[in-house]
Amino acid sequence: MTAYFIRRLLLIVPTFIGITVLVFIITRFVPGGPIERMIAQAQQMQARMGGGPSSAGEQGGQPLSEEQIEILRKYYGFDKPVLVSYWQWLSRVLRGDLGVSTRYYDPVWEMIRDRIPISLLFGVVSLVLIYGICIPLGIAKAIKHRTAFDNATSVLVFAGYAVPGWVVGVLLLVLFAGVWDIFPLGGVVSEDFETFSLGQKLADVAWHMALPIFSYVLGSFTVMTFLVKNTLMDNLAADYVRTAIAKGLSFRKAVFRHALRNSLIPVATSFGNNISIILSGSFLIEKVFNIDGMGLLGYESVVERDYPVVLGILVISSLLFMIGNILSDICVALVDPRVKFE
Amino acid sequence: MKLNPQTIKKLQRFRSIRRGYYSLVIFCLMVILSLGAELLVNSRALVVRYQGKTYFPTYAQVIPGRTFGLDYDYETNYRQLAERFCKAGRGDWVLMPPVPWNPYENDLRLDRYPPFPPSIRDRHYLGTDTMGRDIVARLVYGFRIAIFFALALLAVNFSIGVSIGSAMGYWGGRFDLVFQRIIEIWSNVPFLYVIIIISSIVVPSFFMLIVIMALFGWIGITWTIRTTAYKERAREYVLAARAMGASDMRIIFRHIIPNTMAIIVTFAPFAVSGGIVALTSLDYLGFGLPPPTPSWGELLQQGWANLEAWWIVASVIGAMVVTLLTVTFIGEAVREAFDPRMYTIYE
Repeated sequence: MTAYFIRRLLLIVPTFIGITVLVFIITRFVPGGPIERMIAQAQQMQARMGGGPSSAGEQGGQPLSEEQIEILRKYYGFDKPVLVSYWQWLSRVLRGDLGVSTRYYDPVWEMIRDRIPISLLFGVVSLVLIYGICIPLGIAKAIKHRTAFDNATSVLVFAGYAVPGWVVGVLLLVLFAGVWDIFPLGGVVSEDFETFSLGQKLADVAWHMALPIFSYVLGSFTVMTFLVKNTLMDNLAADYVRTAIAKGLSFRKAVFRHALRNSLIPVATSFGNNISIILSGSFLIEKVFNIDGMGLLGYESVVERDYPVVLGILVISSLLFMIGNILSDICVALVDPRVKFE
Repeated sequence: MKLNPQTIKKLQRFRSIRRGYYSLVIFCLMVILSLGAELLVNSRALVVRYQGKTYFPTYAQVIPGRTFGLDYDYETNYRQLAERFCKAGRGDWVLMPPVPWNPYENDLRLDRYPPFPPSIRDRHYLGTDTMGRDIVARLVYGFRIAIFFALALLAVNFSIGVSIGSAMGYWGGRFDLVFQRIIEIWSNVPFLYVIIIISSIVVPSFFMLIVIMALFGWIGITWTIRTTAYKERAREYVLAARAMGASDMRIIFRHIIPNTMAIIVTFAPFAVSGGIVALTSLDYLGFGLPPPTPSWGELLQQGWANLEAWWIVASVIGAMVVTLLTVTFIGEAVREAFDPRMYTIYE
């Protein structure tokens, strides 16, 4: 089995190279890159100065001279063939240097590092809530299958599943921040956060987090609840539970000691993938609530064509995704001794 | 067409699941009504009776105002015409649709600025958006676009996914491994990034958007079909077919794919709701169909930006909840009906 996981780890390398090469090539052949942006900015500047005395941009309203553009192309590595500059980028990434944002001129790694705590906070809290609510709810629904309780919660849970979390977020925002003014309009902390005492700070963060967390939890809620419910029901109908009852075990013990332990195996299969969900978050929810996390950073850098940031986030998210997949397999092997990976 | 007894049993089981069955009825009704939306929500009149002659403007050519004794050559404003006929009282009349607005016209007033709240007197039953366009009209026509977008996307995604997935599962080995890597790479390319790039070069049209979305949408179903095909390949009937000399193509298309049908049918409703949500999300971000196409995502964006105009968000989300909930209930019932395992309850 060790051989299997080593092979899986080695397969990360070609996949990683494939993903980054593909996106790198796309970034090179798309209009609206950093140089075009700079030209546009220079044009705006000129327009604002009323034409100005600078005569560099006489031909066709081109504000930058050929040499200036050539310098820029060299600076961004656009003067070399794609694969050569890809190799340069990759060797810098391997040394831990993700480059500098073309929009803010900040190091990409610092920009990402600043966002990680926010995404981590939302990710961990929603994860705790999802597992904390869904597993007990799933158990209750399985034991009380086809009762009024089961039907009522099913309708509720399905309503949450049908409508995406960010749409519910918009509704919550309009209701609780627009009409009733109970919760803040967005962001993570209030303006005068620095002056608060520790208790006030915690309360403030919780106050800001309530609506977004609700939207986050809603997304995975249904899948998890039904996963627990359905597998538990399968196991309850299995012979070993009947045997356990037949030899005199109480129903309670049969459920919690025997059936439940086996039902948590499928839950474990998805556990590893949480690592990438925790860190990357949902850009739509972050956009609705104006939370400055990884998702929003990624979205904005894509819209603004901030390639180093796009690629930097891609490096981190794709590595997390692939490691998460392997972690899931390890989780399965840990909880279920019958599983053998070859 | 004769259905085999197993399929008939599945259909009966589907009918017996009330929630899913009525959802299907409501859903079909909504789609059919949206096809005839021009008759229900439109600025053109259904019937005009003028000087003893009857006109049906809905699906006809543009009828200039002069036809009805007005002093202009552009399209008749039937709402004004109705008032005029009413005042004149010469027995001429106009029958308007229940909602007399089309999704593109701006109802502008001299004294105030849109958005206008819901008002029965103005016949804006759910109010107007920030440009004074009727929300009911935008919702209905937006629904029609979204639902057909989702259905078309479903067809494209499933044809690609099913053929590649069953080929991967059937051949296995190196072919499978190579495709697995391709899919892994492909699914990691930021999907939104490509859409934004394409929409910055050309304005995406309906079919263009389907192609772009299908580029990334085939992956999910491919994985599922691959796993099933993998299992089916090991069954005896495939061996028997091969022993009789059937070609790989025949085995895949005549034997394996019909046996994965249950899975395809089960996934379809969820793919439809996924398609609607995807289009809405893109429109919300401003990278979907170009304005002024009626769209739910665009209305959501407006509602998000104008929190005090609560009726915009409330009506879009109401429409989304109804649509997505019916689709999800259908999906759940189909899943239950096609799942051969009937759960036994512990007694």
